[in-house]
Amino acid sequence: MLRITGGTIYDPANGINGEVRDLYIADGKFSSKFDAGRTIDATGMVIMPGGVDVHTHVAGGSINFGRARTPEDHRRTHAFIRSKTRRSGLGGMAPTTFATGYLYAGMGWTTVNEAAVPVLSARHTHEELNDIPIVDKSSLVLLANNEIILDLLEEGEDERAKQIMAWYIWAAKSYGVKAVNPGGVASWKYGNDSKHLTSKISGYDHITPGTIVTKYAKMIDELGIPHPLHLHCNNLGAPGNVETTLETMRHLEGSRAHFAHLQYHAYGGDDWGNMRSEAARLAEYFNAHTNMTTDAGAVLFGDTVTITADGPWQHLLYKLTGRKWGNLDVENETGCGIVPYTYRPSNLVNAVQWAVGLELLLLINDPWRVFLSTDHPNGACFWRYPEIIQLLMCADYRNECMANLPLNIKNKISLPEISREYTLYEIATITSAGPARSLGLKHKGNLGIGKDADLVIYHQDKDIARMFGHPRYVFKGGEIVIEEGDIRETPDGKEYLIQPFYEPDIDEFLRPRFEDRYCMSFENYPVEMERIEHAQIQKCTGDDAEDGDSQ
Amino acid sequence: MGGKVTCTLGEVKNRADFIVYWGGNPAECHPRHFTKYTLMQKSKFLPRGRKDRTVVLVDIRETKSAKAADHFLQVRPGKDFELLTILRALIKDQKVSEEQVAETGLSLEVLKDLIEKMKAAKFGVMFFGMGLSMTRGKHMNAAALLTLAAEMNAFTKFVAMPMRGHGNVTGADVIMRWQTGYPFGISLNRGYPRYNPGEFSTVDVLVRGDTDCAFIIGADPGATMPKPAIDHLAKVPTIVLDPHVTHTSRLSRVHITTAPAGIAAPGTGYRMDEVPMPLKPALQSPYPSDEEVVRRIRETIALRPDWMTNQPQMIEAQI
Repeated sequence: MLRITGGTIYDPANGINGEVRDLYIADGKFSSKFDAGRTIDATGMVIMPGGVDVHTHVAGGSINFGRARTPEDHRRTHAFIRSKTRRSGLGGMAPTTFATGYLYAGMGWTTVNEAAVPVLSARHTHEELNDIPIVDKSSLVLLANNEIILDLLEEGEDERAKQIMAWYIWAAKSYGVKAVNPGGVASWKYGNDSKHLTSKISGYDHITPGTIVTKYAKMIDELGIPHPLHLHCNNLGAPGNVETTLETMRHLEGSRAHFAHLQYHAYGGDDWGNMRSEAARLAEYFNAHTNMTTDAGAVLFGDTVTITADGPWQHLLYKLTGRKWGNLDVENETGCGIVPYTYRPSNLVNAVQWAVGLELLLLINDPWRVFLSTDHPNGACFWRYPEIIQLLMCADYRNECMANLPLNIKNKISLPEISREYTLYEIATITSAGPARSLGLKHKGNLGIGKDADLVIYHQDKDIARMFGHPRYVFKGGEIVIEEGDIRETPDGKEYLIQPFYEPDIDEFLRPRFEDRYCMSFENYPVEMERIEHAQIQKCTGDDAEDGDSQ
Repeated sequence: MGGKVTCTLGEVKNRADFIVYWGGNPAECHPRHFTKYTLMQKSKFLPRGRKDRTVVLVDIRETKSAKAADHFLQVRPGKDFELLTILRALIKDQKVSEEQVAETGLSLEVLKDLIEKMKAAKFGVMFFGMGLSMTRGKHMNAAALLTLAAEMNAFTKFVAMPMRGHGNVTGADVIMRWQTGYPFGISLNRGYPRYNPGEFSTVDVLVRGDTDCAFIIGADPGATMPKPAIDHLAKVPTIVLDPHVTHTSRLSRVHITTAPAGIAAPGTGYRMDEVPMPLKPALQSPYPSDEEVVRRIRETIALRPDWMTNQPQMIEAQI
């Protein structure tokens, strides 16, 4: 048992805003009683629930492709040295698995959601997730360009499509559904794209990206999946794409939806030269429609490697930058593109992107619906989150940074007019309580009795980036994992998955279609349950039992 | 700059109407490849199978694979890089002299015809083997081919893929990458991963005599490596884990017989397109799996005092 006394607590899930309270921990959960055990004096310190990352790329074929493409970065970055209890690893743009766990925990994050997994290589993703220590994990499967499902929608077999969706989620041992450039990646298989909701999808006559987003959101709601459709919209990164994003939002009225990395989808103008922020317009619509959540996908200046299932976009980025290009098309399911990238403050487009990420976080007024992310590693690496927190909490610092932007950015962004500063309570919401709620992880991001004892204790510090970058203590499952920058323990995290219901005869329906499309045997395709270490199956709504996890 | 533009094998099966093999001989080295993944398969997009596909073989000699190809281009030995670079120029309508083309052993007419066919394809794929990547020019040759494939995407869909062999070499590459950031040629002797092919690759370490022990799993360097490397293996304590007695076993201090993976031991094999396949044992073996032996050795070593003490937890910059 353990007691933490005197800390100032920010626990948005329970409405606790900066109150001094004691916390008791027993058996890895918060408890109402304390009999005996260690006491930690947190007087004068700030306590928040452990961070939850709703959208990151830390495990599987795509980030591993990114690692392969960037040895020059591994060579210059910080290195973790092995000990008898710790594995070695490298940080940087695409950290190795062990280092990923250390770096997330090192800044107080205790749950991460790997946002893009092809079912075909889900076995690989789980092997990597098993090698990420300390944090708990979940993953989303890429299904919005799955030709077997698209064929069924084309044939008007919506009910069957829903069943197949459920089958795929369980086959991948996954937690939900990610849609990337719906229809566009399918078109990319023949070198095309589908940029708008009414665009043609190569090989299909009756369905459009609009059909896919609308039907997928509905199917996911009907299956009772805890996390809504996790959507990377069409037309990412392009000037003027705000129209596509707004149109997508209109399509999704009446359904739940999570808009991933909204920063990349909030641009006006019609050319790189006149690209401008449309964050204000997007935020206005978003504020008025409470069916949606989003994560920022904020950009920070510096080097990174971009990684996405959006193959056609990455081909464009390769042509724009002339840098290394990795592409991996996955049969029947999805794609993957890798391009190293440097965001420069002197570059007008990059400067607009930097501003848009912050504008969305500041203009969306409900912190329960907008979450901190950089779409790691696309906008910046996850270990730079403390820098974003500083930008959100200090308007003066923001203004200082804006002085470095090109002069002609005037009238292209609205950031200079925004004076809002985040409070600690709001930071705890966008980094933990909010994303946990959106993921449907009710025992996360919450310091209430019976919830998982994942928490972080910070020194009060005027230097916000230092405060959030160097916690005094990090607890995972009631255990001290980080103490004053030292990694104390490296427990294995849990992995969350769901088993949505599908009719048992779906196997025999799917088999011939599968054998026609894939080049492995049907029996070898689903990931075996015993390959998931510390699996926790979460309930879908409509399941019999109450919420909470069960084995 | 190029990069690596590729796909899983099912994409080739479903879509590739134009297939190039360069410096490889799948008919003899990957005997199931043509029938399972590439030439013979029919699909929604290529309903007539082989008839809907054009196949080109580029090699220094007419191997058995030439019979399976529609066109055979015999490149002069050691001129692969030149030929690939000429093709990169020709697709962009840049000027190439007759003499430069003649050096490759092929004619401009043949190359122009090849490029026309490449550009007319809906989905092109280039497979390359060790005849490209392990001959004069080595990784520069592979880079030239990968760049050609990347640049072809300005005209039509094109991908490239190495024809890998040797069991689960891709799996080793994939796992080393997620654990250390690098695929091979890694040194951990400072307590963190460093990468330098040519310095830390197995053959270089052995030839220099830099190790005082060797631990070999599922490989037979005693049969394939240069003599100085083999001599060093014989000199130091070498431990071999293998289902069979190999050349390396004969010069080792210890050989531990293990169950063959995929036949009598479970696990994961990564296909050459990096798709992970479950290995389901069909037979029982009296021998332990490689994994079990390694785990037991590790548990024993863990009981000994750590030889690397007083190391910091992390260093900000590598030296």
